[in-house]
Amino acid sequence: MIETNVIKDKAAQANGLWNRVGDQTNPSRWNGEKWRSFVDHLNSRGVIVHEALPDVSVFVSDAGGLALGMPHGIVRPFSADEIAEVLKAAQIYAVPVTTRGGGLTTEGESVAFGGLLLDMSSMNRVLAVDPVNLTVRTEAGIYWHQLAETLRQDGLDYLSAPLNLTSSVGGTLGVGGIDINSPRLGCSADQCLALKVVTPTGEIIECSTTENSALMERVLLGYGQFGVIVEATLKIRLFTPIIMKYFYYSSLRTAMEDLKYIAHEDAADYSGILTIMDRAINLLVAFDSDEREKEFNLRWRRHLRGYGEASFGLRMAGYYLLHPWKFREAAYLIGRRLTLFPEFWKPEYMHKGKIVDRTVVFSRAVWKFWGGRKMVIPDLAASEEKFIEAVERGNQVCRKYFRHYTLYCVGIKLFNSRERYEMSCIPPDAGDIAFGCEFEPMLRDTDYSRDYLQSFKNEIYDIGVDMGLSYYRFGGMMKGYIRKAFGDDLVDKHLALKQQADPAMILNRDVIF
Amino acid sequence: MSFTRKARARAMQGGGTYEEIAPAIDSCLLCGACETACPEGIELAELNIHQRQELNRQRTTYPRWYPADSNGMIDSGRRPDEQTLLLAGGLLGSKQALCLSLLEQLGTAGKTALARDDGQDIAKIMEAGLPLSPERVERFVSSLRSARTLIVAEGLLHRPLRAWLPGTKILGPGEALLSDASLRLLLRPEDLYIIEGRGYHTDHRRLAGFYHRLRHETGCYTNLDLQRTAFSTGAASLQGRNNIAAAGCIENAKRILKGKKAGRVVVEDLADSEAFRLATDLPVIHIAQLRRGKLSYED
Ligand SMILES: Cc1cc2nc3c(=O)[nH]c(=O)nc-3n(C[C@H](O)[C@H](O)[C@H](O)COP(=O)(O)OP(=O)(O)OC[C@H]3O[C@@H](n4cnc5c(N)ncnc54)[C@H](O)[C@@H]3O)c2cc1C
Ligand code: SF4
Repeated sequence: MIETNVIKDKAAQANGLWNRVGDQTNPSRWNGEKWRSFVDHLNSRGVIVHEALPDVSVFVSDAGGLALGMPHGIVRPFSADEIAEVLKAAQIYAVPVTTRGGGLTTEGESVAFGGLLLDMSSMNRVLAVDPVNLTVRTEAGIYWHQLAETLRQDGLDYLSAPLNLTSSVGGTLGVGGIDINSPRLGCSADQCLALKVVTPTGEIIECSTTENSALMERVLLGYGQFGVIVEATLKIRLFTPIIMKYFYYSSLRTAMEDLKYIAHEDAADYSGILTIMDRAINLLVAFDSDEREKEFNLRWRRHLRGYGEASFGLRMAGYYLLHPWKFREAAYLIGRRLTLFPEFWKPEYMHKGKIVDRTVVFSRAVWKFWGGRKMVIPDLAASEEKFIEAVERGNQVCRKYFRHYTLYCVGIKLFNSRERYEMSCIPPDAGDIAFGCEFEPMLRDTDYSRDYLQSFKNEIYDIGVDMGLSYYRFGGMMKGYIRKAFGDDLVDKHLALKQQADPAMILNRDVIF
Repeated sequence: MSFTRKARARAMQGGGTYEEIAPAIDSCLLCGACETACPEGIELAELNIHQRQELNRQRTTYPRWYPADSNGMIDSGRRPDEQTLLLAGGLLGSKQALCLSLLEQLGTAGKTALARDDGQDIAKIMEAGLPLSPERVERFVSSLRSARTLIVAEGLLHRPLRAWLPGTKILGPGEALLSDASLRLLLRPEDLYIIEGRGYHTDHRRLAGFYHRLRHETGCYTNLDLQRTAFSTGAASLQGRNNIAAAGCIENAKRILKGKKAGRVVVEDLADSEAFRLATDLPVIHIAQLRRGKLSYED
């Protein structure tokens, strides 16, 4: 049954964790000054602000479930003009505005600690599909899943998107968006051809790589600091079912070397590593066509050192026979194997041995096996050279804190050294390809304290500081790391840009600065 | 503001009361789609009914579409001894010729009969979240005990019937008819086949496979989305039966049709045919009419 009234600390305390000076956790709730005048102003312009408790409670947290904050009110916009009204008024009354898409952040980046929350999910229409030039123009609040539904009607598909069903296009372009085809296609933000943006001062601007490109570069991977994305034009492609193959490793290092090899050689259309702790390491590769699979089998397969499932199973059985005191771990691995793998082979998503709807299959599996009421997913993004060491160090931290966890590693192709990568999840020293690893503990059955989880994240992030890496989730509760990771000069440069674009510092103010 | 299923849970967790989110609870069409979409497998359809029950405990006036409490109105009649019973229910129950045609197609040498008590009142009471009389349920259930298979048009009854009659096979008319290969042959690639959502979602794992095979065998369109969730018109809901337009059923039918180059609509649930007839000029037939290709379901 539904528990009611469980969220007591509506006005969360600032820096609730103080064991580490400078680490940000829940920010203070904005004090509500001039809120009423702001709402009256918006109402007089025909903008509806929802203030009832049930309305605002909907947005009390994000997918992480650890950051708690209540907006004073919600606007569900239906046009760029409406958003422009909101932002203009917010500048006048100095009311903080937080943009929210699917709310799948885990560090509270899409949680409003008071002020106004823009719920972009109301802007979810596909505006135009161009099957000849393979582009789509869509409103930015649409979930990737909804977009896929529309594109599939014409035998089309998006290029790359996060592996969950309810992240939005706008939110994803704002943070990057990594898929298992990112080693070939780059992040979702790099699939974007043009945007309609409402700036923090309420101007509505069209931008692309040729028109207002500076704004485009600031907004993509910009964590919503430099504007609200209202519409986006994205590259798309013809839909293809995929052929999937798995290789199993007991050495994390060997698997990572092979992942790098695949990415370098462009040997597969999709690749990534998913592990059960550091015991069962699964390198998955997939192909859009029989020809690509054939080429892989001919040219690259023999170089991979992973095992097939049966021989890996035998090796594992041998290992646990020699280490009988680890029977619990063995039981966990077997249980996980038995429940997880059928999820990837559900007959209703397969046709002639191919996975028909990979996004659905992966996304559902991700939620089912890694989702939960609380989630912490600290990550490290590294250049090719530093990747293996970063993951091995992160793995040691996971081992120290949790009995059960997963590592998810993937490559990200980079395109030139675009401005948009500056102070983003893309590591500054990466060449043609960067690699990311998420460290995801299985929290399900244990109620870890926030301090414990924060300490875990800090240890992972400390590796990043130590090695000069970047992070996918560096905002919100982790923003204390921004200066440590990027250095004062770069942060001050971006802060100055932000102050110029957003004089009252109202837009997404608790996320980065 | 309207609330999604998840938003309703969040609103309650934040301290909202049932009354405060009453419009959202009342607008739920109990299609069950949120249940299959939920990766954690929470039985949301039951929770949706539970929310309605809680809301009813707190309020004294009900929406216009609420049913009158008809517990105990139906006479179960004699106990049937057929092995397969058709519980027609709702709109189908009122179309005698169509029911007979269905029976004829389902029938194995007189072993299939129309249940005199189809539990329609029970479904309505459950849907409204009103208290059910245990005696009424007992009478209904005992009238079905001898049957091995129940073909139940009202999808909302599938789950409770499985609980009340463990061991009895519960099917929807669509699955029951389409198990016959000669009937599947009559479905064409230009057909848009509308799966009845409420029953489908309660047995999703199995039925997703069944309809997956159907799609590949016949090439027809369906109302399944990429998650294999059935997009329902909502026409079978209490709200839809009260006012099909106001409940959004016609809009939903249009959305289902969008992007599909369909030449005919074939519905499992007669309530859906009304929504589609109002949404499109395409011919709309009930699955029982497939064999005859008849375009009208009037008796
Ligand atoms: C279970 C799970 C699996 C995940 N898997 C992946 C994965 O495979 N790959 C991956 O890349 N990420 C993944 N993520 C992270 C998540 O998908 C990304 O953070 C995501 O894409 C965010 O999209 P969203 O719509 O939920 O954005 P939100 O969480 O709503 O917002 C993200 C940020 O963007 C801002 N924002 C939102 N909308 C707009 C807009 N229209 N204009 C400007 N700024 C905006 C917000 O203020 C916030 O700072 C996962 C998260 C979870 C919980
Ligand atoms: S049952 Fe249908 S209408 Fe009701 S909340 Fe779930 S999906 Fe929405």
